[in-house]
Amino acid sequence: MAVPGNNNRMVTITINKNQYLAEEGEIFLLTAIRHNIDIPHLCYEKALEPYGACRLCMVDVVTCGKTEMTPACTIRVHNGLEILTDTPQIIKHRNLLFELYLAEAPKSEVIKEMAAKYGVTKTRFLKKIVHDDPLQGKCILCGLCVRVCEEIMGNSAISFINRGPYTVINTPFYEHNPDCAGCAACARVCPTRAIVCEDIGESRVMHSWSETTVALVTCPECGKSFAPQRLMEKVLTKLEPGLIEKIKNLCPECRRKYFTRKEIHKIPLTDREP
Amino acid sequence: MDEKSLDEIIAQYASPSGRILGILREIQIQERHVPMDTLKLLSEKIEIPLSQLYSLVTFYSFFSLQRVGEHLITVCMGTPCHVKGAVKNLKVLQECLGISGESQDGKYLQTTPDNKFTVEIARCFGACSMAPVLQVDGDLYGYVIPEKIPEILEKYGWKR
Repeated sequence: MAVPGNNNRMVTITINKNQYLAEEGEIFLLTAIRHNIDIPHLCYEKALEPYGACRLCMVDVVTCGKTEMTPACTIRVHNGLEILTDTPQIIKHRNLLFELYLAEAPKSEVIKEMAAKYGVTKTRFLKKIVHDDPLQGKCILCGLCVRVCEEIMGNSAISFINRGPYTVINTPFYEHNPDCAGCAACARVCPTRAIVCEDIGESRVMHSWSETTVALVTCPECGKSFAPQRLMEKVLTKLEPGLIEKIKNLCPECRRKYFTRKEIHKIPLTDREP
Repeated sequence: MDEKSLDEIIAQYASPSGRILGILREIQIQERHVPMDTLKLLSEKIEIPLSQLYSLVTFYSFFSLQRVGEHLITVCMGTPCHVKGAVKNLKVLQECLGISGESQDGKYLQTTPDNKFTVEIARCFGACSMAPVLQVDGDLYGYVIPEKIPEILEKYGWKR
């Protein structure tokens, strides 16, 4: 089964003693997911380079009869790769890690559900309870939000603060940060849904990032606020020339309406209903 | 710190390797802390996001966001000093200076309200033979017992 759109060589790999076809050079975790082999993972995000922060996707790589524990998201597929995903060693590691995560992020439903799926419902470790935690006691410090903000959005509005057990993620000086574009990419990539943001009227409030507030643009057609102003400005610089000027500032819904009317009913935009 | 002195510091660090930490170190030494405004100005000047600079400053124990007092007392908390009673010494020191051992950010750096003394802890000075040891403004004191602490502090202008 070749993956459409890729010209890479297909190779044979062994997962839990069964043989599978995989594309050379692809990330092993993705191969496993495609073949419905269950590997728990939290910090893998396809928009970013694999990082191996959460350690949950640990698998055993067999080379010359010896096994070595490696995160599945950092393994690149090559011919003859041999992997074991549920050895006693892996299960022990995984269960301990779930216990640690239950203590680190005691409020996270995602972690609780995932741990329960693997039979871990209790933790022997002291639960980390922070009062008025802007990340609701759900952050596991995987760093995805920090990386997406820096590498993809180019804003670097948030970063790690302090170190060791005191590490948190927030804006510098815990202040409203003008570097934040309000794109909410951080909230989207967060594996434990720890980041809170809310659209209130014509602004978006990033509750988790020291209540940083950004202005939203309003659709001239329906009057709904739909995207952060700074993000919109950036997006508009990337448009291909020749795009219809009229629909440039519309919200996605009104754009669709515009095209529907134009293409199907052949009604000009000026004759629109109230 | 004014803009001119900051520019001078930045000019000293032209090469990218070690640049940011070098500049921050220089600011910490000159100002005895890293002021918020200076950090914001620096971020604009060297075009490094403020969040990353703040991350560095809060990570390294060398940097401090609050002004360090006139005299810096470093108490060694390495294993030999710990065994020989450094915990008791630190407690007496806190009682003498009227500061508490609470730490919000994991850095142990406490300053008296009059800004005269700052107490910090370090791991090992390498002077284990003289344990427990503490350092005041670079002067090393060995075989410290709680009774000797007021005596040491008086040398630096502390009054009972």
